[in-house]
Amino acid sequence: METSFAITGKGYVLVAADTTAARSIVKMKTDEDKIKILSPHLLMAYSGEPGDTIQFSEYVERNIRLYQIRNTLTLGPSAAASWIRRSLADSIRSRRPYAVNLLVGGYDTSSHTPELYWIDYLGTLTKIPFGAHGYGSYFALSLLDRYHDPEASLEEGIATLKRCLDEVAKRLVVSPGKYLVKVVDKDGVREIEI
Amino acid sequence: MNSLAQRFSTTSPLAHFRKIQRLADEDEDVSDAAWGSQAGFGSLTKGVPTFTVPNLPDPTAFLRLHTDDHADPNCRIKIQHGTTTLAFRFQGGVIVAVDSRATAGSYVASGTVKKVIEINPYLLGTMAGGAADCQYWETYLGIHCRLHELRNRERISVSAASKYLSNLVYGYKGMGLSMGTMICGWDKTGPTIFYVDSDGTRLKGDLFSVGSGSTFAYGVLDQGYRWDLTDEEAQELGRRSIYAAGHRDAFSGNTCNLYHVKEDGWRFIGNFDISKMHYEGPGDVPGAPGGGYGYALRVEGKSSANPPVAEAAA
Amino acid sequence: MPDMNSLAHPQQHQFNPYTENGGTILAIAGEDFTVIAGDTRQSEGYSIQTRYAPKVFRLTDKAVLAVNGFAADGNMFVKKVRQRLEWYRHAHAKDMPLRAIARLIQTMLYARRFFPFYVYNILGGIEEDGSGAVYSFDPVGSYEREACRAAGAAQSLVQPFLDNQIYFKNQTPAQDTSHPVHLPLHSVLALVIDSFTGATERHIEVGDGLEMYVVLARGNPALQSLQDLPGAEEVTGTQAEERVFVIRRDLKKD
Repeated sequence: METSFAITGKGYVLVAADTTAARSIVKMKTDEDKIKILSPHLLMAYSGEPGDTIQFSEYVERNIRLYQIRNTLTLGPSAAASWIRRSLADSIRSRRPYAVNLLVGGYDTSSHTPELYWIDYLGTLTKIPFGAHGYGSYFALSLLDRYHDPEASLEEGIATLKRCLDEVAKRLVVSPGKYLVKVVDKDGVREIEI
Repeated sequence: MNSLAQRFSTTSPLAHFRKIQRLADEDEDVSDAAWGSQAGFGSLTKGVPTFTVPNLPDPTAFLRLHTDDHADPNCRIKIQHGTTTLAFRFQGGVIVAVDSRATAGSYVASGTVKKVIEINPYLLGTMAGGAADCQYWETYLGIHCRLHELRNRERISVSAASKYLSNLVYGYKGMGLSMGTMICGWDKTGPTIFYVDSDGTRLKGDLFSVGSGSTFAYGVLDQGYRWDLTDEEAQELGRRSIYAAGHRDAFSGNTCNLYHVKEDGWRFIGNFDISKMHYEGPGDVPGAPGGGYGYALRVEGKSSANPPVAEAAA
Repeated sequence: MPDMNSLAHPQQHQFNPYTENGGTILAIAGEDFTVIAGDTRQSEGYSIQTRYAPKVFRLTDKAVLAVNGFAADGNMFVKKVRQRLEWYRHAHAKDMPLRAIARLIQTMLYARRFFPFYVYNILGGIEEDGSGAVYSFDPVGSYEREACRAAGAAQSLVQPFLDNQIYFKNQTPAQDTSHPVHLPLHSVLALVIDSFTGATERHIEVGDGLEMYVVLARGNPALQSLQDLPGAEEVTGTQAEERVFVIRRDLKKD
């Protein structure tokens, strides 16, 4: 089953998403990137209804790019998250809503603060220090209550993230095999080997 | 047609129950046991408990219709659900920790439930699922453990006790019993835990958690577990894991009851208020870190902001 | 008049031997007494069947049982418990102790695990050590000893009030003082009356009358005040070490 995690640390947000694309009982692909880079300091892990996920994430990506072209400046993480939430809130009230859950992580270059937003397909938005979507959240949230440190270095943050991935691998029946991990900090977005 | 055939068949489990019921009915007026108390187990006249079953083609469907099978709010008879229980084996024995909340739908029916059943001084059973099922059958198990002692001049092994319970509930499979229990104790082979449930599963293991909050407990438990934990560390881990489940699972909470099983039998460590653990910690007990377990308390004053050094200095 | 059209169609029948008859019961244990109370309204849906149907029953001189839920099952169950207690008396020439009655009720309820009595039971009385005790049960027999318990239609209105007033939940004692462990009889009776007048105001299935049974332990100093209380009737059986009284009050009838 689809699972994604995100945690903040000192000056960064770590986002991890599993890489499986499944249809019925078949794994169609095992190296799918489900973390979209929206702008130099913004990324978004998405999960949910196949088709909706791709369509919605690309819609968000193009609109954030359009805003940048029109206004020359980029939306900050909180503004971007608000716009995304509103898009989903409009969508749920439309004839055919998008069923997409998101973790939006960004680095606010003006206040030098990493920010993380949890958004679901209903248009619920919360700002959080750590979060998860999917069955993984049942195992990871209690663990993060215990081990998360807002001032953790990147190495410590990765170690905590690894605890989550290990726990899910250990306990979840339908656990995903591989994860893709990306980090956003003052230097922008990059992928991390784990 | 099928149900009709079943009704008059003499080999189906239903026919078996009808036979028992007939016996019970004939017996009702004259049972010797009913005159005394039989330690309260008056229905055990024949050594096997007897149950009244509704006179219908499918009595289990009747029970399903009227007792809540978790989701249906129209069902009248609410059976208590929602729990977190855990037990683990380590160098110093067995730790057993449970919460104390009982819910009926979204109503907190009780916050003081004893979910650890003291079967005898060497055996503990935990309670998840139907409260009455666990309470009744584990008490019944206690009777038979004592009979085993009297007949064989030695204590029953945890393995045998759990097998007894497992076989017993398996006999009622499909009748609607609901229990997920851990039978914990210390016998000739050392500290032992068996997970037994009403499906008939029986598993030996080092670490189990059962109930709606079990995933949250596992998250903390697995990450902090080692075989060579000290007694104090192990007790703290059990307590901290139940706190985690009480915090994240709405159907678990109120207080944590903690037990430690050693070679000389079990010992009750204490009762810990989960809200109190959140804000103030478990109090002055061995292994406690000092201060509350709450995330907000733990990270108070910490910030993820990362201003450049020059700016921070200014 | 049966609907003739519907007779043309296949009929499906469901076996439903249960209904809900409303009302609320409540018990509070003191140090050397127990109060067991219940309202007397019996209803089904929005109709009141009777304004006086007792839900609280004296079992022995030290045990009182309150039953709530499906009235027919409740009455049947009380009858069966009393029968078992009488047999016990014949076999042992004494009344069954309270904790034994509690276990008996568990096994009697559990014997109907697959065809339950739809009844919530609260047993109150005096233990062998002279202390007041309350045992509460679910319909299939799980039970627990407590200091106080409300069950039935208005349990979610009454129990939080009791948590606050009996267990002093969410209350902080004033500087250099502490909450009392046990309340005196007159305070408990006042709380019970307030619980039921409150529940009558806010729950449609509660009202008409209130019956409060008081079981006093041997040599309870409150005996005299209870004997003087207007409207309190002594219902103690024969040998009487413990004393049982019933106090009746009117509740609103709308």
